[in-house]
Amino acid sequence: MSTPALELTGLKKSFGKAEIIRGIDLSIGKSERHAIIGPNGAGKSTLFNLITARFPATEGTVKLHGEDLAGLQPFQINRKGLSRSFQITNIFPKMTVFENVRCALLWAQGYKYSFWNLVNKSRRLNEGADAILDQINLLPRRDLPAGMLSYAEQRALEIGITIAGGADVIMLDEPTAGMSHSETDYITDLILKVTEGKTLIMVEHDMGVVFGLADRISVLVYGEIIATNTPELVRADPKVQEAYLGAALEEEH
Amino acid sequence: MTDQITTDPSKPAQRMRAGSMSLTVGPWIVAAVALMLMPYIFTSNSALTIMNQMWITVVFALAYNMLLGQGGMLSFGHAVYAGVGGFACMHIMNNSDLFASFPLPVLPIFGGLFGMGLAMIVGAFSTRSAGTVFAMISLGVGELIAACSVIIVAFFGGEEGVSGDRTYAMPFFGNEFLQQIDVYYLTSFWVLLSAILMYLWSRTPVGRMANAVRDNPERAEFLGYSARWVRFYSFVASGFFAGVAGGLFAINYEILTEENLNTASSGVILLVTFLGGVGFFFGPIIGAIVFTLVQTVLSLQTELWAFYAGSLFLATVMFFPGGLAGLMMMHVPVFRLGKMKMLLLPYAKTLIPAAIGILGLCCLVEMTFHYRHAATGDHEMTLFWTTFDSHTLMPWIIAAAITAVGLGIAKMTAPALKEAWDEANTAGGTS
Ligand SMILES: Nc1ncnc2c1ncn2[C@@H]1O[C@H](COP(=O)(O)OP(=O)(O)O)[C@@H](O)[C@H]1O
Ligand SMILES: [Mg+2]
Repeated sequence: MSTPALELTGLKKSFGKAEIIRGIDLSIGKSERHAIIGPNGAGKSTLFNLITARFPATEGTVKLHGEDLAGLQPFQINRKGLSRSFQITNIFPKMTVFENVRCALLWAQGYKYSFWNLVNKSRRLNEGADAILDQINLLPRRDLPAGMLSYAEQRALEIGITIAGGADVIMLDEPTAGMSHSETDYITDLILKVTEGKTLIMVEHDMGVVFGLADRISVLVYGEIIATNTPELVRADPKVQEAYLGAALEEEH
Repeated sequence: MTDQITTDPSKPAQRMRAGSMSLTVGPWIVAAVALMLMPYIFTSNSALTIMNQMWITVVFALAYNMLLGQGGMLSFGHAVYAGVGGFACMHIMNNSDLFASFPLPVLPIFGGLFGMGLAMIVGAFSTRSAGTVFAMISLGVGELIAACSVIIVAFFGGEEGVSGDRTYAMPFFGNEFLQQIDVYYLTSFWVLLSAILMYLWSRTPVGRMANAVRDNPERAEFLGYSARWVRFYSFVASGFFAGVAGGLFAINYEILTEENLNTASSGVILLVTFLGGVGFFFGPIIGAIVFTLVQTVLSLQTELWAFYAGSLFLATVMFFPGGLAGLMMMHVPVFRLGKMKMLLLPYAKTLIPAAIGILGLCCLVEMTFHYRHAATGDHEMTLFWTTFDSHTLMPWIIAAAITAVGLGIAKMTAPALKEAWDEANTAGGTS
């Protein structure tokens, strides 16, 4: 079998005495669409933060394409082709929508810390940014400060700058949280479109989205993964139903 | 190029603020012509001196704003980089063999290199974080190096400082920079070149990322950029241009002292930059011009000029956090809507009385100062071409009345101005 895109072994995280992530082993294959579900406070965002080195792990390893990420900083991990979005929108509010996307393209296009290129002169850069804006339907908003966008538009921009650099492992933390039905459908289509052929790891509460999108689902409860399987089998798993799905499904009705 | 096509023309201010404007040469040509013509308009030697000081402050303030405005780093010790660049230039001036081997206009480059070298050393640890930690380190380093001026006398020259003679450089096309006007053109050349380079810097990838890191360092890290290194590059570039300003200072005054790098000078450049406005590239230019005028022209009129400069700064911070540039740019939308005319009368009705009231207030301040500090028996003072006795009641009553009436009218007419302003900012529906 080929090396998995992402492999977690014995991952643990404590904040003070509270152990939030309590030993996670998970392997996600190349081009797999993997959803992580679980009740609020289960540790889903914390897990994302551990993988992307926003927080240091207390124990355990994270491997990206077989390479151990221990000791790397977020920007180094990003350069290895892993890009993430945030549950709480994390953009550059004072810069224009276009500038937001263009900044997300700079490193990927090899500009590094260049002070001998002018951003306005690079066709590839500006056209690339416009192409992303087109994909996320924000071209009409191009020159507005990002902070002036509506909530749904900011979420779309969040996804836009996450995927702009062309990373092959994309992690999205609740991309549809707080959205209306039509907005959710729109974002789901967008995610399908932009993650074509890529590895996607996504935290999501909307079961419609999860079952429509994911190849496999992991259920995270109290810092532990209690099941990882295809949507059908997860849905049928009595453990999952007891711990989470039942409650969630009841809530929906 | 593509920037212009889909830009919403009704949002010019936003477009400018966000910095997606395309590269234009127009303003630079205007600036170059203005720099060339100024000595023909202001011909006196003292005017040249004032302008030289102005342009040096422009370079320094623009360099400072690379940190504050573009990079979000508040430095309390930036005079150090200008100062060290200037001292280095003085030593080069005093090394006759070396100095005779190149023409004077090249000297500021060395100032820049020394400022940059110091910035690389300090930036290596200070740019790890922005915010309070950065500010405190900048203050500490500023104090430290200022203190060195009495310790490392060989470099800083102790209390007397280091002086030299610029005319020993290799003649530049026969010019030895004996005249003030020659120095003026040298300074003008450097202010234009530095401003253009700093503007272009803001359009490069690392310059754009400086804005991104300023707004949200964490997100920048998740896009592949180390916030720390982005800050470091801004810091080093800023150190270079601060050093250039120091070199220009060395050429102009031929002496550098501890005053050039102490915390007070660092405070002044912060004030100048903020007064002009940190949110726009040209803000610090306006700040430097206004401040230098206040400092030079006003200081000839009154000993209390620093008090007025401080009040101006305070008023700007409190009422116009965007600085003078922000205040100007506020009017762009009105201008685009063609409604500037609507504002003229309300402005006149409020600002003229306000100005008179403020002048009245200044009279009271000056009279108080004279009353307290003039030599005993010297009761006579002159304000606005009027000579009177500061120890009699009448002038006080008159000044107080002018103040009260002026400010009173301004206060009364202010709501109408506000209304006119709102009206002028609304599209459509003109009278
Ligand atoms: N930086 C932190 N410090 C302390 N506790 C934290 C921190 N981040 C998250 N937690 C705690 O970890 C638990 C899991 O949070 P989170 O990962 O955000 O859950 P989820 O994303 O699954 O809703 C919560 O109880 C939260 O209070
Ligand atoms: Mg969460």
